[in-house]
Amino acid sequence: MLRKFAVLLLCLLPLSAQAAGPEGGLQAGQVLRGRFVQERHLQGFNAPLRSEGRFVLAVGKGLIWRAEKPFAVTTAISPAGLAQEVSGNETMRLPASRLPFLSRLYDMLGGALGGNWLALEHDFTVVKSGEAKSWRVVLTPRNGPDPMSMPFASITAKGSRFVDGVRISKPDGDYDELSFLDQTLSNDPMSPEESASLQ
Amino acid sequence: MRRLFALLWLLVVVLAAGYLGWRTLHGLAFRTDLMALLPREEQNPALQKANDTVARALSQKLVFLVGHPDRAQARAAAAEVSRRLSQSSLAEVTTGGFGKDQMRQMGAAYFPYRQGLLSDGDRQRLLDGKAEEVGMRALSQVFGFVGTTDARLLRSDPFLLLPSFFTNLPLPLSRLNLDEGMLSLSENGVTWVMISARLTGEPYALDVQKRLIAKLDLEGLSKATPQLQVLKLGAVFFAEAGARQALDESSLISLLSILGTILVVLAAYRALSPLWLSLLVIGTGVGTALAASLWLFGELHVGALLFGVSLIGVAVDYSLQYCTEIFAAPASPADRLRRVFAGIGIGTTTTVIGYLTLFLAPFPGLHQIAAFSAVGLVASWLTVVLWLPALDRARRPKHGASMLAWAAGFMDFWQGKRRVALLIVLALLGLAGAFRLHADDDVRRMQSLSPPLVAEQENIQRLIGSTGGSQFFLVDGPDDETALRREEALVERLRPLVAAKALGGLQAPAQYVPSAARQAENRKLVRERLAPLMAGQMQQLGLTDIPPQPDPDQPPLTLDKALQPDGPMGFLSVLVLEPGLHVVSLDAVARPAEVTAAADGLEGVRFVDPAGQFSALLGKYRQRALALLAVSALLMAPILIWRYGLRSGGQVLLPPLLAVLLAPALRALVGSAFSFFDAMALVLVLSIGVDYAVFCAETTKDRKAVTMLAVVLAAGTALLSFGLLALSGVHAVQSFGATMLLGIFLAFLLAPMARR
Repeated sequence: MLRKFAVLLLCLLPLSAQAAGPEGGLQAGQVLRGRFVQERHLQGFNAPLRSEGRFVLAVGKGLIWRAEKPFAVTTAISPAGLAQEVSGNETMRLPASRLPFLSRLYDMLGGALGGNWLALEHDFTVVKSGEAKSWRVVLTPRNGPDPMSMPFASITAKGSRFVDGVRISKPDGDYDELSFLDQTLSNDPMSPEESASLQ
Repeated sequence: MRRLFALLWLLVVVLAAGYLGWRTLHGLAFRTDLMALLPREEQNPALQKANDTVARALSQKLVFLVGHPDRAQARAAAAEVSRRLSQSSLAEVTTGGFGKDQMRQMGAAYFPYRQGLLSDGDRQRLLDGKAEEVGMRALSQVFGFVGTTDARLLRSDPFLLLPSFFTNLPLPLSRLNLDEGMLSLSENGVTWVMISARLTGEPYALDVQKRLIAKLDLEGLSKATPQLQVLKLGAVFFAEAGARQALDESSLISLLSILGTILVVLAAYRALSPLWLSLLVIGTGVGTALAASLWLFGELHVGALLFGVSLIGVAVDYSLQYCTEIFAAPASPADRLRRVFAGIGIGTTTTVIGYLTLFLAPFPGLHQIAAFSAVGLVASWLTVVLWLPALDRARRPKHGASMLAWAAGFMDFWQGKRRVALLIVLALLGLAGAFRLHADDDVRRMQSLSPPLVAEQENIQRLIGSTGGSQFFLVDGPDDETALRREEALVERLRPLVAAKALGGLQAPAQYVPSAARQAENRKLVRERLAPLMAGQMQQLGLTDIPPQPDPDQPPLTLDKALQPDGPMGFLSVLVLEPGLHVVSLDAVARPAEVTAAADGLEGVRFVDPAGQFSALLGKYRQRALALLAVSALLMAPILIWRYGLRSGGQVLLPPLLAVLLAPALRALVGSAFSFFDAMALVLVLSIGVDYAVFCAETTKDRKAVTMLAVVLAAGTALLSFGLLALSGVHAVQSFGATMLLGIFLAFLLAPMARR
C-alpha cells in the first residue's frame, strides 16, 4: 500500500517539473509550497472524506504533507523513509529499507525533474494534451491495475504553471481528487522545522 | 600350499579390481558433508527432528540475486536463471513466495477472525487504555497523504485493525519489492532481482552439485552480459567448493605422496624391483580397500578417501621390511620373508587393531576409514607374504654400506649415554607444552568455507536483509495451544532484544496464529475498549452503517485451519513440526547470551544452536577418542606380552605411548589447540608407532642395521603421506596431518628403545 504513496509522489513531482515550463523544470534546492484539498470518494460513505492542509516539496530532500483539517496529521517522505505523526505523536515510521521503491523513485525523479519522461513511460502510457498554459496528462498503467503495486485505473493531472489538480481513479470506481492552490516556488532554504521533519 | 593361497589371493584381487571397474563405469558416489563423518545426535528425538527439519530446510535453500544497472537486463537475466533452474529438474523455483495472490489469500483467511488479531502496537495501546490512539491511527491512515485504504475494508473494519496486524507480520524478505512479478530492489543505480529456489536433490551429493552448477552456468551468464552480477547462496555451493578443494587436495596429496615414496625407494635400493614390488603392494591394498568399502557402504565419503589414501604410507612398510632384507646376509626370497615374517605379522595385527577401534566410535565416516584401512592393510600384508617372494628376482646390492652404518649408528645411539639427554630435552619440552594444552571443538573453525562464497552470502544478506540463521528456539508443549502460549511469552521477551539489536528478527507460528487465549483476550479488549468508540469513529469517517461484525463467540483461528494444505500459510509448516512442537526461527543472532537468557524460566522453551551442539559433541567425542586410544593400547598389550613377555612387551609399547603423549604437548607449545581430529590422529600414531617398535624388537644383533634402515624408510614414506595432510586447507584435516607428522616422527625417533 505504501507503493501507492510512491507512485503518486512520482506522478506529482515530474508533472510540476514539466509544468514549470521551458526554463528547465525544478532545480535542486528549490522549494515548492502550497495548499491542498484532498477528497476521497468512497462507495458506501455518505460524503467524500475531505482533508486539507499545506505541503512543502523540497527538490532532492523530500515532501512534507501536513493535513490540518479534519485534524492535524503530518506525513514526511524523504530518502530516509516515511514518517507519520498526529499531534506530535508518531503513528508510523518506515525506514527506506522497508520501502525499496523509494530508492528507485529517487532514481527516476532525478531524470523526470530534468524533463525526462522515460522513467514514467516505463510504467504508464502517457497521453499529453493542451498547451503550456493549460495542459492535461493522463497516465494509464501499462499492465492494467494491480492491487499490490499499481492500484489505479488511471491518473489524470491538469495544470498550468504547476499541477493544479489530480484525479486518481481506482478499478472499483472509487476515486481521489486532489487540488493544489496558492503554489509558490522559492529558492530560499527550508525552515529548520521543515528540515527537521525530513531527517 | 603357499602357491594355492597365492592363487586364491590373485582371484580375490582380480574380483576386487573387476568390481571396482564396474562401479567406476556406473559412476562412483561420493559424499562430501562434514556432518556425515561425524556422530549422530543421540539425545532427544524431538530435538533431533527439529534439528533435521531446520537443517534440511536451510540446506535446500537457494537464493540468487541478479544485478545490472539496466532494469530490463537484470530482469531478463533473472528470468534466464529461473528458466535454467526449472530445466535442471534439480530445484524448484519458489520466487514470488509472497506474491500478491498469496497476500490476498492470507488477507481473506484472516478476515473473519480480525477481532482476535491485533498488532503488537494496537494491543499495547488498548492495554494501556489508549483506545483513542488506535482510532487516531486509523484516521491518519485515511486522511493522511493519499489515504491508502480500500473502501470496503474501511467499512468493515473502521479501526483498520486487520491491515495493522498484517503489516506487522514478520513476512520474510521485507527489503524486496514486487516489481511487475519479480522481487526486486535497487541500490546505487543497480537493480537487483531475487530468485529463490528449493533444491530437490541432496546438496551433499557430488553429482547433484556438479549437474546443478553445469546447468546453471552462472559464469557463462555473467560473461555473456557485461556488468551483470550474480550472487548465489546455498549449502550446495559451499559443499561443492569444499568437495572440489578436498578432491583437488586428495589427488595432489596422493600424487606427492606416491612420487615421494617412489623417490625414497629408488634412492634407497638403486633398483627398480623393490619399487614395483612396493607399488604392487600399495596397489592391491588401496584397490581392494576401495572395492571393499564401496561394496560395504555403497558410497564413499570424500574424507574417508582422503584419510584412506594416506594408507599408502603404512601399506608400503611391510614391503619395505621385506625388501630391505636384501641388504642382510644372502638368502633365498622365502628365507628372507621368514626373517621378517613375525615382525610384519605382529605389526599388521597391532595396526589393524588400532584402525578397528575406530569402529567403536559411532561416526559413519570413521567406520568407512576403519574398514578402508583395515582391508587395505590386510590386503597389503597378504600381497607381501604370498606374492613378493615368488616375484622377487633381486640380487644382493653392492651399495648400502653407508646407509646401513648410519642406521646402525642411530640404533646404537639408544644404547649410549646421550639418549638420556635427548629424553630429558623431550620431557622438558613435553612438560612445557602440557601446560599450554587446550582443547577447541568449535565446528565452525573445523570447516573451511570458501571465502568468495562467504563474501557473496554476506552481500546477499546485506541486500535483502537476513536470510535466516541456523539457531532457533524449540517450543515443546502437550498441544498446539500450549506451544502457542509459550511462544507468545517468548516473543514478548525477544521483542526488546530485537529493538536493542541483540537479535535481527524472529518468526514464530504464534505471530501468524495467536493462541486461542490471546485471541479471546484481544476480542475482549476490542469489545470493552474499542467498541465504545465505534460510533465516534463512524461519524468521523462519515459512515452511517457498517456490515455486521464477526460473531464474537465464533471459534478462533487455529493452526490446523491456517495450515490447510495448499493454503496461503503453507510456509508455516517449516515452523510447526508436529502438534505442540514448534520452531521459533531467529535471524542474525548478534548477542547469543542475551537471546539464550530469554528462554530462562519458560517451560518447554529451549534455545537450539546446531553448530554449538555439534561443537559440544565434538568435545565429547574428543574425550571418547582418547578413551579409544587407551582401549587400543590395552588390546595391543596382550599380543605384545604374549610375544615378548611382560617387561619387554611394556618396553615395546613405551615408544609409541611416549609419541602419543609428546605429540599433542609439542603441538600445544606452538599454540595449536587439541581437537577431536588430533585425538583421532593419535589413535593412528599409536598403531603405526607400535609397528616400528615391533620391527625393532624383532631384530637380531646382525640384522639391526637392516631393520633400522627399513624403519627409517617406513617412517620417511609415512611422513610423506600423512605429513602432507598438514598442508591441507581444511582445518580438521590439517590438524590431523600435523599431529600425525609429529607423532610419527617421534614414534620413529623413539622406536629403538624397544630393542631387546
